[in-house]
Amino acid sequence: MGTQVKDVIIKPEAPNALLLDKHADYISAYGSKKDDYEYTLSEYLRMSGIYWGLTVMDLMAQLPRMNRQEIIDFIKACQHECGGVSASIGHDPHLLYTLSAVQILCLYDSVDAIDVDKVVEYIKGLQQEDGSFAGDKWGEIDTRFSFCAVATLALLGKMDTINVDKAVEFVLSCMNFDGGFGCRPGSESHAGQIYCCTGFLSLTGQLHQVNADLLGWWLCERQLPSGGLNGRPEKLPDVCYSWWVLASLKIIGRIHWIDKAKLRTFILACQDEETGGFADRPGDMVDPFHTLFGIAGLSLLGDEQIKPVNPVLCMPEDVLQRINLQPDLLS
Amino acid sequence: MAECEEEVLVQRVVKDITNALKRNPSIDEIGVIPCPEARYNRSPIVLVENKLGVESWCVKFLLPYVHNKLLLYRQRKHWLDREALVDITCTVLLLNPDFTTAWNVRKELVQSGVLNPEKDLYLGQLALTKFPKSPETWIHRRWVLQQVLGQSSAGDRRRRQQQRDEADAERSQQLSEHLARTLHQEMKVCSDAACRYPSNYNAWSHRIWVLQHMARGNIKVFYDELSSMRLWVSMHVSDHSGFHYRQFLLKELVSELSQSTASSTSSPQHRSSSVSSSSPVPFHNHANGELSGGEGGEDEEERQLSFITVLQLFHQEMELISDLIQSFPGHETLWSHRRHVFFLWHQWRTDQQLSNDGGDSTLLSDREAGLHKGGAQGCAAQVGEGVNGQCPSEAMEVEGASLPDPRDSKRLKRGVHLPAPPSLPSEYTFISSVLDSCCPSEQRRFALSYRKWLDTVIVQQP
Ligand SMILES: [Zn+2]
Repeated sequence: MGTQVKDVIIKPEAPNALLLDKHADYISAYGSKKDDYEYTLSEYLRMSGIYWGLTVMDLMAQLPRMNRQEIIDFIKACQHECGGVSASIGHDPHLLYTLSAVQILCLYDSVDAIDVDKVVEYIKGLQQEDGSFAGDKWGEIDTRFSFCAVATLALLGKMDTINVDKAVEFVLSCMNFDGGFGCRPGSESHAGQIYCCTGFLSLTGQLHQVNADLLGWWLCERQLPSGGLNGRPEKLPDVCYSWWVLASLKIIGRIHWIDKAKLRTFILACQDEETGGFADRPGDMVDPFHTLFGIAGLSLLGDEQIKPVNPVLCMPEDVLQRINLQPDLLS
Repeated sequence: MAECEEEVLVQRVVKDITNALKRNPSIDEIGVIPCPEARYNRSPIVLVENKLGVESWCVKFLLPYVHNKLLLYRQRKHWLDREALVDITCTVLLLNPDFTTAWNVRKELVQSGVLNPEKDLYLGQLALTKFPKSPETWIHRRWVLQQVLGQSSAGDRRRRQQQRDEADAERSQQLSEHLARTLHQEMKVCSDAACRYPSNYNAWSHRIWVLQHMARGNIKVFYDELSSMRLWVSMHVSDHSGFHYRQFLLKELVSELSQSTASSTSSPQHRSSSVSSSSPVPFHNHANGELSGGEGGEDEEERQLSFITVLQLFHQEMELISDLIQSFPGHETLWSHRRHVFFLWHQWRTDQQLSNDGGDSTLLSDREAGLHKGGAQGCAAQVGEGVNGQCPSEAMEVEGASLPDPRDSKRLKRGVHLPAPPSLPSEYTFISSVLDSCCPSEQRRFALSYRKWLDTVIVQQP
């Protein structure tokens, strides 16, 4: 039996230059052509969708092209009595969308558009006895939600309102033998969860608890011959996982362990030359999600046409400087 | 299409879906049938055998319609009665199962007693046939299962307070059977989703959650899972999540068995709301007679047996991986599994030695010495440092993932070989044998990387 490495082959004619103008056009047009069906299908994550689009526009210095007032009004309308924010109007509040909303408001330097004290109360109320965080009032536990909680509070400068020690204890209980993290104790290591957990430990000043060499090893093994990174062994490479792995490596100070030039080639090959935007893999359909992580990845790789991105919060560094937030990174 | 014409049509389709599900409780799959145009006077809901299909032409306006209706209800701009809510959320979720708010509406319906939790689990199961990863569907399942568990532990508490009469005992029996059925069904849903989408993180982490919440400490359930997974992983050698699940089972079993070497009186069932084991595991069966070798000896023998079982688990797992690595060269998943199992072994052995050094002399070295004396070929039982790697790995006949027979403890004393546990030298030997054979370049790369991992993570550690 032969081996077939799960990877993609980058064609010689694949794009190899960064098409910034096309991407800006793609994102600014995305919101306006609302196909009823597609729009409905993804409405449950609308707030995060807006965060992806605005962040990538800001990284490309194109934020003024978006409709600031309309977006702020929308966010206001999505804050609920409990303080939490929902993905869209009429949907239920959740930590995921509360973080996205606060990230957007930071981009626009208008956090006070919503009731910040209530947001803090909401997050505080979701912390459990064991330190973990529920995503909403229904109680699902996941290390992603631990990240959402501390990232939102860090952006609001209110980290001291929760039990940080307990929160750290829970996240560390999800660490695996390979140095990685899963969604709950005993769960498999996963690049997305690792990003959340290293980001969490950065924001809580606990990065020394990571076994950086062991985790760095696992993360580097995500790079495939095509240069792209996958999120777990024997999965296909993907632009979004490339970001999560790369950002985690940056956080733990091991970004130089992978082949940066090859990764850049892979990310550039995921652009659509005609429509603009990035897909998960070369030749697939583009979307705003992969467009953000493509651009953010290139920024971390040092592309100077793009603003520097912060690996922990996936936001432009200048925005974080404005609110005086500098998450720890290992060297 | 005119507004009201559309409304009539959509309402009919929603009813058709609900009725199809009501009339055919054996529907086990849903799907969209490619069909760009409506056929005159025919419902777009099609039932073929046990598969429920929706013609694609109607999805485009069916979904926005029910979606918006539900959101209007949520904003208190439109009233829907409970039955309509059940029907509409059902249609919405079969088409778009990550619509969190729709699941939340159903949670409220379950809480108010309108919706039966089992029915809700069934809807999720159907949605997973088309969307096997859907995170929100799995999240909702965990919530529903917690309701089911909550009900049964409330029942447990009531029973403990009341006098145990016959009817009560019967009810208790029914409850535990009910939980066992729910557990079994949940494993089936997970397997099904795992087959539909490879390395399905959500399905496998859900399966772990289910065991942690519904079968904690139940060695029998963990054992059954481990043996039933054996064939599955052999047929899915690229499925990292499936192998991680095996690692989880192994780790839990080893830790349970090690606890029982520390205190043999611990019951395999720690939580009243967990599924109880219907037939106790042999080495916990005090009534078996085989293990009751006198008052003082009983604990000792049981500990010895648990200890041997751990060795056997590691031995069997390493044999399985070696076999798969050789049959399916170049799979990162298999090498990653090898790392993990060896690490678990290494950790367990270190723990045993630590507790040994801490003064509990009955744990490792004494046992080893005793076994060595009994063994006709002493090397087979070496587990401490200085393992020489020359032990025949087939020291004990092992069939599949069979449970250790309690009678083995008697035979062991008479000198039957113990299973050879993994060891550093045997790992290096295995790597060399792979490198010496003419194997694909990927296989070489993984073998070399495993060697480097052993050198840095295991050898260089204190
Ligand atoms: Zn992706």
